[in-house]
Order: sequence, then C-alpha cells, then structure tokens
Amino acid sequence: MSNLKRHYETPAGVVKALDGIDFEIHEGERVILLGPSGSGKTTLLNCLSALDSPTDGSYFFQGEEVPRNHSEKMTSFRRENIGYVFQFFNLLQDLTVMENILLIQELAGKKDSARAEQLLELVGLESEKGRFPGEISGGQQQRVAIARSIAKRPTLLLGDELTGNLDTETSQKVMEVLVDACSKENITAVFVTHDESLVQYATRVIRIDSGRIVSDENTGISAILEEE
Amino acid sequence: MSALLNKRLARSLWGTKLRLVAVIGMIFVGVFAGITFGGYAANIEPMYDSLYEDSETGTNLADLWIDNQSSVWTPEQVEAFCNGVMNSWPSDAASLDACEGRMILKGNLFHTNDTGDHLIPSLWHGIPVDADVDRNWFPEGHSEGRPAAAANEIVMDAHMTEILDINLGSQIEIGVGNGSYEFDVVGIAYHPLHIYLAPEGSIFPPKPGEYAIGYVSDLGMERLSGERVGSANNLMLDIEGTPSFDLPSTEEYEGEDLDGIKLVVSDSMDANELDGRIRDRGQYDAVEFMRQDLEGAKKSTTPFTVMIQAIAAITIALSLQRLVQSQAREIAILRTLGVPRSSLMTGYLFAPLFIGAFGSVLGVLAGPYGMNGMLDFYEELVGLPIIERSIPLELYWNILGLTMLIVFISGVFPAWKATKMEPLEVLGGHSDIRIGSNLLRKMTIWMPTSLGLSIRSSLRKPIRLSMTFLAVGISLMLAGSIQMMTVGLTDSIVGGLEEGQTWDVQVYTLPGGEGAIIEWAEDQGAINETIIELPLGTMEDSSGMERGFTLIALKGYEEGDSMRSVDIIAGEPPSEDSTTTQVMMDEGSLEMAGWAIGETRTIDVAGSTTEVEITGSVRGEVARTMFFLQPDLASITGIEATAVYLQLPNGVEVDESLANVSATIQDRQVLLEGINTLLDQQTQILSTIMGLGVLFTLAVMFNTMVMNIAERDFELATLRVLGASTVGIGTMLLFESIIIGFVGGIVGVAFAFGGAIGLASSFSTWQFYFPVVLVPSVAYQLMGIVLGIAIAMVPIGIWRIRRMDLVEKVKDLSQ
Repeated sequence: MSNLKRHYETPAGVVKALDGIDFEIHEGERVILLGPSGSGKTTLLNCLSALDSPTDGSYFFQGEEVPRNHSEKMTSFRRENIGYVFQFFNLLQDLTVMENILLIQELAGKKDSARAEQLLELVGLESEKGRFPGEISGGQQQRVAIARSIAKRPTLLLGDELTGNLDTETSQKVMEVLVDACSKENITAVFVTHDESLVQYATRVIRIDSGRIVSDENTGISAILEEE
Repeated sequence: MSALLNKRLARSLWGTKLRLVAVIGMIFVGVFAGITFGGYAANIEPMYDSLYEDSETGTNLADLWIDNQSSVWTPEQVEAFCNGVMNSWPSDAASLDACEGRMILKGNLFHTNDTGDHLIPSLWHGIPVDADVDRNWFPEGHSEGRPAAAANEIVMDAHMTEILDINLGSQIEIGVGNGSYEFDVVGIAYHPLHIYLAPEGSIFPPKPGEYAIGYVSDLGMERLSGERVGSANNLMLDIEGTPSFDLPSTEEYEGEDLDGIKLVVSDSMDANELDGRIRDRGQYDAVEFMRQDLEGAKKSTTPFTVMIQAIAAITIALSLQRLVQSQAREIAILRTLGVPRSSLMTGYLFAPLFIGAFGSVLGVLAGPYGMNGMLDFYEELVGLPIIERSIPLELYWNILGLTMLIVFISGVFPAWKATKMEPLEVLGGHSDIRIGSNLLRKMTIWMPTSLGLSIRSSLRKPIRLSMTFLAVGISLMLAGSIQMMTVGLTDSIVGGLEEGQTWDVQVYTLPGGEGAIIEWAEDQGAINETIIELPLGTMEDSSGMERGFTLIALKGYEEGDSMRSVDIIAGEPPSEDSTTTQVMMDEGSLEMAGWAIGETRTIDVAGSTTEVEITGSVRGEVARTMFFLQPDLASITGIEATAVYLQLPNGVEVDESLANVSATIQDRQVLLEGINTLLDQQTQILSTIMGLGVLFTLAVMFNTMVMNIAERDFELATLRVLGASTVGIGTMLLFESIIIGFVGGIVGVAFAFGGAIGLASSFSTWQFYFPVVLVPSVAYQLMGIVLGIAIAMVPIGIWRIRRMDLVEKVKDLSQ
C-alpha cells in the first residue's frame, strides 16, 4: 500500500479515516493492527479486503492492482484471495458446522469435503461437524469460522476483533488454532484488535492513530510455528 | 412517551412505503368491492319490488303459473278451472285476487332491414287490456305508449326495439305458425317475466336483435293464433300479498303457504281435465334467475370484503411482526428504561387502524363509482333501467365496521409479541441464537449446500410461510375460483353446442305440425330429425320436494344417432327393449335430487305418472333435463315431436314459407353467438376480479420475498464478505423463489378449486347447476402466475444485494 487514503465527505466536513498509509506485507507474516477507537484500523482492514475503495493511493496485491469501485470485481478479488473472520463468528445458523465450510467452498467453486474435514480436524472440531452453530460454544464457533475462512485456501486472512467476543482463555485457544492454521496453510494474516495481549501471536505489529501509521515493528516471533 | 413511540413506529412504517401502499390498496379494494356489490344489491332489490308490486305503476307478478305447451285450453275450461279454484280455496290461505288465462306462443318476427329479410325467433303474449296479473311495465322515462287494446295493436319489449329500429307507430309482421299478420306498435315496455331476455330453458340471452318478445291484446292473440278470445295455454293466479314460496337456493322448505293452494289448483285441473305443470315464483326460471342474481350479489358482499381484508390483514400482521423483530433492540432498551408494556402496545395496535382508516376512506370515496359501474353493466346486460340509485348508510357502516375489525385483529399478535420481549434475552443476544432443524438437515443433506440452505431458509419461519400461502391461496381463490367455474361451465356448454351438435336450425312446431316442416326440408334437400323437448316434467326428489324439469327425446344416444350428441359421463344410454322406460339425467339433476344411476323412480309428465329407470348421467345441461328415447316419450305424452332439427345444404336458408308452418326457428350459430356475447361481457368482470387477485398475489409474494431477503441481510452480507458472487447468491434466491412459487402455486390451485366448488355449490340450484371441472389449463395458468411472481422477485433480491453497503454491514456484523 502506498500513500493510501480514505476520506469521507460528511455534513461536518471531510473525515480522513486513512490519510497516507504506506506499508508492505510479506508472505507468511502475521500482522496485528493496533490502535484506539476511530484510529482507522477497521477502515484499513476494509481496504485490504476490498470491501471499501480507497479515495487515493495505490494498493497492489501480489503485483496486481486491487480493484476498486466495482462491486463484482472486488467480490471476485475477495473470493480468490481473502479469508475473513468476524468478531461475532457469523456462522449460518441453518447449516451445520461442516456445511458452513462446504458452502463457502461451493460458492467459490472449490468444493472439497476431504479438505473441510481436514480443517475441522485442524481446529479440533471434527467431532462437532454435524452440529448446528447454536449447539456449540462461542470459542468453538470462532474456530469453525477460522476453518471456514481458510477453506478456500485464501492468500490473506483478515480478522476484525476476532477474539473481542471471547473470554481470555478461549481467546488464547482460538489464537493458537489460528496461528497453527496459518502456519500449516502458509497463510498471511492481518488482524485488527484492541487487545495488546494478542501481540504474542504476531510476527509484526503496526500501530495506527488518526489514519496514519505511528509505528511498525517486527516482534521477532517466527512465522513458522515450531513443532513442540 | 407513547406519542413519541408511536411517532417512531409511524416513521418505521413510512420506511416501507411500497408495502404500505400495497396494504392500503388492498383495504381500498376491499371496501370498494363491498360498497360496489352491496350498493348494487341495495338498488336492484327495491327496483324488483316496485316492478312486481300490485300498483298503478307495478306489474302485479303472479304467484302461481300453470302451463301446458302442448295443448290449448278452451275459454270454458279456463273459466271452469278458475271457478273450481275459487270455490274450494283454502279458508286459512290469503285470498285469491285473480285467476287469468293467457296465450303465450312461440313464433317469428318477419323483420326487414338494410341487410334483407330476417326471421327472428319470438315469443308473443296475449294480455287482455283489463289484465290484473303479469302486466307490462311502463317505467317513466324509459318506456313509451300504452298497453295493446285493439286486434292489430302490439307492445314490443323494450329490450330489442332500438337494435331492430322499432318505434312507436312502426308496423311489424309476426306469426305463430299459421301465416303472418301485421301489427301496429302502440307501446314499448317491459314485462316481469322477461326482465332478462333469455328464452325459457336457457340462461343465455340470444345476441341483441336475434330474439323478440311482444305483447298483443286478447283480440290480437285471437287474430294471431286463430284461437277464441279467452283460450289459454297458461293460467296465472294472484294471491293477496306475496305468500312465501320455496327458495331453491336454500336447504329449508319455505313453501308451506302455497302447499294447500297448490293442492286445490291441482284438484281443479284434474276436475277440468287440464294437463300442465304448476309453478310458483321459485320454480319459474325467469323470475328465480333474477332473484338468485340478486341473492348472489347480496351473498358476495360480505365474503368478498372479508377475503380481501383478510389478505390485507395477513400482510399487515406479517409486516408489523417483521418490524417488531427489526426493532427488537430498541424495544428492549425502552423496556430496560422502564417504558410500560401498554405504551409499546398501543402503537402496534393503532397502526393497522390508521392504515385501515386511510384505505377505507379511499374505498368509500370510490365505492359509489364502482356501484354505478356495476349498475350500468346490469343495465347493459339485462337491459332494464335502474331509475333510482343510492347507497344506504347502513351499508357503509357494515363494510367499514368489518374492515376495521379485521385490520385491528392484524395488529394484536405483533403488539403482543412486542410486549412479550424480554430485554435481557434481546440485549444479551440470546434471542438471536437459533438451532437449525435436524429434520430439514436430513431432508436436504443430499443437495448442494447452497440449495439446502435455500430450502432451510425458506422454511425458517413456518408460520410466516403458512400465512403467506394462506394469503396467496385467498388471492388466488379470488382470481381462480370464478375462472375455474366459468371455464368449466363454458367448456361443457359451449363446447357441447359447438362440437357435439350438428344441426343448423331447430324449427319448433305446434303439436302435429312437424309434417309440414319435414315436407319443407325434403323439398330443400335438408336432412331432418324430429325431437321432443318439453319443459313439463315434475318429480319428487329425495327430500320430498317437487321439482320441474325438461324432457328431451332423441332417436338415439350412440354416436351418429342424432344431430344432437350428449356427453354421457357415467352409465349407459337408454335402451328401447326395457320393460321400464329407461332414461338418462343430467348430472345436476342426479346430484340435486339425490338420485343415482340404476334406480327406478316415479316422475310426472304433463300430469301423467310414469316409472323410469335411470341408466346414465349427462354433462353440459344448465337446465335440469331427462333424456328419453323418442318412441318412449311419444308414447307417454302422445306427442311425436315439438321441434325438428335441420341440416341445411349449401345455399339453402330458412324462408317465410318455413316460418309460416313453424312456431319459431332457432339458428344454432345465432344461439352460439348469443352465448359467446354474454360470456364476453362476463369476461370483462372476470378479468377485473382476476386482475385484482393477481395484484394481491403479487403484493403478498412481494411482501414475503422482500421480508425474507431483508431478514437475511446478515447471512447474505456474510456470504458477500466471504466472496460469494451475486450469481451464486442469485442462484440460491432463484431456487428459493421456485420452491415458494411452486408450493404457493399448488396451494393457490387448491384454494381456487375449493373456492370454485364452494361457489358452484352456493350458486347451484335446481334451476341452474354449475358443474366444476378442474380444467388443467386454468390450473397451470394459476400456478404459472404464482411461480412467475416468485421468480420475478429474484432480480429485486439481487438488486438489493448489489447495492448492499458491505462496509456498513461489516460494522453491523461487528456490533
């Protein structure tokens, strides 16, 4: 991303949600975006996922410019490259755990039941595959959401406050699963959070305030999870 | 606080303008239809009353008629009969006001116009100038002249004078089978037995100008028929007041007042050797048809209004319920802040009333136009002027009361749901947790996941879906039931007349006159076939009621036996070799009389009792009919033929020489055109009702589909964020729409068929039986409409998904 800006016209004047963001994320990195409320971190995540179009600046993904202001092309970009984990899991209540994963594969044209099973094993929920989301805990739902988000083999996994709705112990379990999955699947990840304790799972931490990057540091943690 | 909450609710409703307009539109149509039908009935009823009453301006409709179309009674017989009746009149009955004999004869009008000479089938009444009963009606401003008095004077029925260009002072030429005679038109008026201009035995009036009715004096009838003044083939009895008669449209028997009188009449007929059938107002088709039309309009008012308002109420209830759901958090917060349940409730209770009031006002404003339109249509169809038009205040109150009650009920459930919400559950997110159905999972597990999701999503709210199907069903009942009934009727009647009959003209004759007609036919090289057609049968049905019916006798009922083929739907044709006379009956007769094939029953034919064995059931007869083999009926009645069917060779047409030896001549093509003209007129009304039903279906389906999609914003946004294309989601929506459309269509057809059966059984009487046949084309059409509407909603869903602001949705998803 180079000099990326996202400005909003409001009756009160122009709001500069992002005001010249420059950074490069490398394959395999796990980046955490930290910042206070209103700092622009969610807007940055939206631009990264092509949910939102920047007002100015450039955004290249694996050497290709990311589409903007074109809903279908942006959707297509997400379908091919992006995985997304929500704070409230957003699993489809009428589908079972397994079916939630299969649906995303099916809509991406990559249906693969064996992989879905494998992913459930990866997140430790193979025994829950026939249950509905309403029948499992929040932490388990978030692990299903992680499995779902990587089911179509995205290049980049994004998460917005993905542990914000979980207690500390469950958050840790979820993050461990996530790190494990990213490591094994070789997925680059960017997470937005308020929670400083999650820094321990990141290879890099970017702090944002008022739409600008105020710090960008490597944590020294290896991207590849070492086998215990 | 309540006022603010209600304001908030009003704003939310205003946010669903399209749905709001649709619901207001439905209520408007319900009130409009109620006032239209109710107003129509309210204006027609007093008109019939004043037409039938014994007054200066009324016609004094008789209470009993006796007729025999196969012979003429002498003046002495008539007098003796009337004296006999008077002398033995029951002491406990209302007094006899009049007993009069009349001649009523079929004949022809020899009419010449720009296109040449025409023979118009006609009916001629002989009405003495001092007649007390069944006089002509001369409504002020809609009639001309005076009753006929001299031997060369005639009053023409106003139904056809304009089209035939007959005016006061015109000279016309008429005949009844013994030459032609000129008459001067001295009046243009109406008659109580010919309000609706259909020949006896038919509910279809011939094409305008193809049937004529005139009223000569007794002297004129003497000249026309060659019979002495006072001769008669009809007798009319007028009783003081209007004694109640049995209504064929009810299960109960209301005719006790006339029972004793009919017995006296029958005895007097026997004593004077008169053969004939006795009919009261309920048994006289021409009178009963108009009463039933009126009764139908009265009966339709409430069900029509209720049906339409029920559709509106379901739509309101579903919309409010959805609103409660979408405002759950706000309601929970308000409840947490201490707002009482009653404050929350009032808005949801009053909102439907405001919507109802708005739609009602529009309906009340437009209602009189609808009523006038329907009365205009009546004038055009029936040809009778409606002089005074007004809508009783009571009708307004009834329709509005009913409407407001129904729409009020629609708000009760949403209001109750709103107040039952527990703030802790809603704010804690517990109310969002829902566990999918294992049954649905098992049923759809074999499907692609996206299609399985479509089915599960469709069935997620079974009550809403059921209510939607109910509303679709009612809408299609409105659209389809009348259509099903009329298409079934048309198919069997018009189809039979078009394809099952090969005669060109039916030439009616007085008894013994068929020889001259056959001679004419043979001279012209026309194929001929004599038939007997007499409306003189009577029977006692399974409930003990006396019923009149038409007797028809043909040479045979196998293919090619007769120019008139009948559609035998069960049993076998009659056989000549049987010891008991074998007959077939139309399906309506069998059903309504409670008789069955294989039974032997006793009937009365023109006064003589005979036993018949029923061998078959026939479809396609509006009138109740019994089919005999010709020799059988001829031996019972002593009449060989009442009409001759002719197949005319190319270039041969009926002429004056045939008219001079026949009673009347009916052209099959003219008969068909008349039926088709009537059906075309009916189609105008049907199309309007059907269009309304389709509009309602559209509104209901639109409401449900929009709610379904709105409610699934959460999951559709999730799928979009995760990269699902609009094509993928669109396919899911399409599949969902097809399921809802398909099931809705089946429900709709079932409702329409059920409605058609209900309508047919409510309209079917002994005189007019409506068979209900499930015509596949109508069923497919109805299913296609619902399916089409459901599928048409998919682009709306896709449009909504395309314009979805995913950034905002992601924010929502994170809250």
